[in-house]
Amino acid sequence: MKIVAVTACPTGIAHTYMAAEALQIAANEMDINMKVETRGSVGAENELTESDIEAADAVIIAADTNVPLERFAGKKLVKVSVKDAIKNAKGLIEDTKTASVYGSDLLEQVASVKQEKKSKQPAFYKHLMTGVSFMIPFVVAGGILIALSFIFGIQAFQEEGTVAAALMTIGGGSAFALMVPILAGYIAYSIADRPGLVPGMVGGMLAASIGAGFLGGLLAGFFAGYTVEALKKAIKLPKTLQGLMPVLILPVLSTLIVGLGMIYIIGGPVSAINTALNNWLSGMSGTNGFILGIILGAMMAFDMGGPINKAAYAFGAGTLVAGQPSMVMAAVMAAGMVPPLGIALATTLAKKKFTAEEYEAGKAAYALGASFITEGAIPFAAADPARVIPAIVIGSSLAGGLSMLFNCGLAVPHGGLFVLFIPNAVTNLLMYVVSIIAGSAVTAAILVAIKPNKRD
Amino acid sequence: MITDLLTKELFMESLEATQKTEAIEAMIDRLEESGKLNDRRKYAEAVFHREAEFSTGIGMGIAIPHGKSDGVTTPSLVFARSQKGVEFESMDDEPAYLLFLVAVPEAGGDEHLRILSMLSRKLMHQAVRDELMKAQNYEDVIRILGES
Repeated sequence: MKIVAVTACPTGIAHTYMAAEALQIAANEMDINMKVETRGSVGAENELTESDIEAADAVIIAADTNVPLERFAGKKLVKVSVKDAIKNAKGLIEDTKTASVYGSDLLEQVASVKQEKKSKQPAFYKHLMTGVSFMIPFVVAGGILIALSFIFGIQAFQEEGTVAAALMTIGGGSAFALMVPILAGYIAYSIADRPGLVPGMVGGMLAASIGAGFLGGLLAGFFAGYTVEALKKAIKLPKTLQGLMPVLILPVLSTLIVGLGMIYIIGGPVSAINTALNNWLSGMSGTNGFILGIILGAMMAFDMGGPINKAAYAFGAGTLVAGQPSMVMAAVMAAGMVPPLGIALATTLAKKKFTAEEYEAGKAAYALGASFITEGAIPFAAADPARVIPAIVIGSSLAGGLSMLFNCGLAVPHGGLFVLFIPNAVTNLLMYVVSIIAGSAVTAAILVAIKPNKRD
Repeated sequence: MITDLLTKELFMESLEATQKTEAIEAMIDRLEESGKLNDRRKYAEAVFHREAEFSTGIGMGIAIPHGKSDGVTTPSLVFARSQKGVEFESMDDEPAYLLFLVAVPEAGGDEHLRILSMLSRKLMHQAVRDELMKAQNYEDVIRILGES
């Protein structure tokens, strides 16, 4: 049993502390874990943290001043005068067993039901959203800087020492490189608090380096968070050694476990998938173009930077012969532009179905999609994979298939909207644009249809 | 330090008064005699005003009347012990035997507030109260209250 309490009195000199001590004494005698926040004239001391409150079975408020209670919503709560705690602390502790849950007036009930709804959303979802919301700025900053480098010319970044190269290093080499580690790190942070950050970020970095993409990062984040939680429970140290837990034992052990898991358990299959897909695709040259476009389109959207996407992109880039337009490359790029564009369109059409943060990120997603930076869709896909991935896979495969059907060709491996204005870079330009718009519209329509409302 | 607040002349080994108001007035007298107040009326007002909200007789034989006022020059603590017991309208309706009068200036640092909060916590322990009743002199009192 764990109880948290707050004591406060008007002068804040004596009673606040007497009540706190009385509660502590009673709790010790009753073998109850008690933490008391004192709000005296020196300010709040021994403050209750969110996790203290979350872990508590009940709350005691012994105060004759106004103590804000919002943070205790949904907890069993006893509220008395400070002198009651001094007089009868044991009785108060007994009372908590039968106390009613705070927030039971009608108005408060509505609020606490909402709160509860939120907290009843699987914890899984909360962890996911923490990771995603930390990742979004990285995607936006990195994506926009990459797009800026294209202004100097599609291949300009390949020239070392230029501004374009610098922009690509900042956006692609650094901000995007941090994207998956941040996602994984903060998922783990949400699960296991600060100790989760290290194994999460390292696991995310490994997910990126073994080519497992953001799906690998999601996995790494949850794996890391729950590993730390399990270690916290499993390892019991004598009190004198407990200081070693957060600085030495947890970080080293959890990072070791997560790292080995990523390399040996996830890494093997990922590279096997990549090789198998590469072989499969090279055996497909000569099949019906429309079908090949559909397959490549679906692959581009499925894991955005993971093994499947990489295989499709590498296959497309491999068909480029210097300066000659390739139909396969055109299909791959069209399909890669659709996910962020389709999602951006959906945020514009149905604001309610996205969080405020996602709605804002949607604006940036237009720019990223137009620049063939498929990663712009990752935050949305990571937050709601079951709905977003099918929607973008269908839209992208449509764009890929149509692009092949219309015999569109592309002579460069990157660039998005920017290359459309370069003479001879794209063949059958008009129908190419139609393919991309059609794919994006389908993705947006599916998202609007299947995503639940996030806001009133 | 507790000795900064509770100086030797502020220890009243045996209080004569048996009624609340008299007892408090006697303790305020001691503060004034020791030069801890520049406006006795103002400080007394603060103390009795606080008492009117609800009695600072918290039971277990303890009373902690207190006032925060700019009538106070130096943060101080009077400790008065009563053999007969003072009728203090305490929560448990029992007389008070250990009385602490706290005087704190309106403005000033936190240090003395921390000392008083420590004192308040100590008084909740039966052993501390028993020892205070038995204390022979000022030095004993300081030793008991100074221990942590």
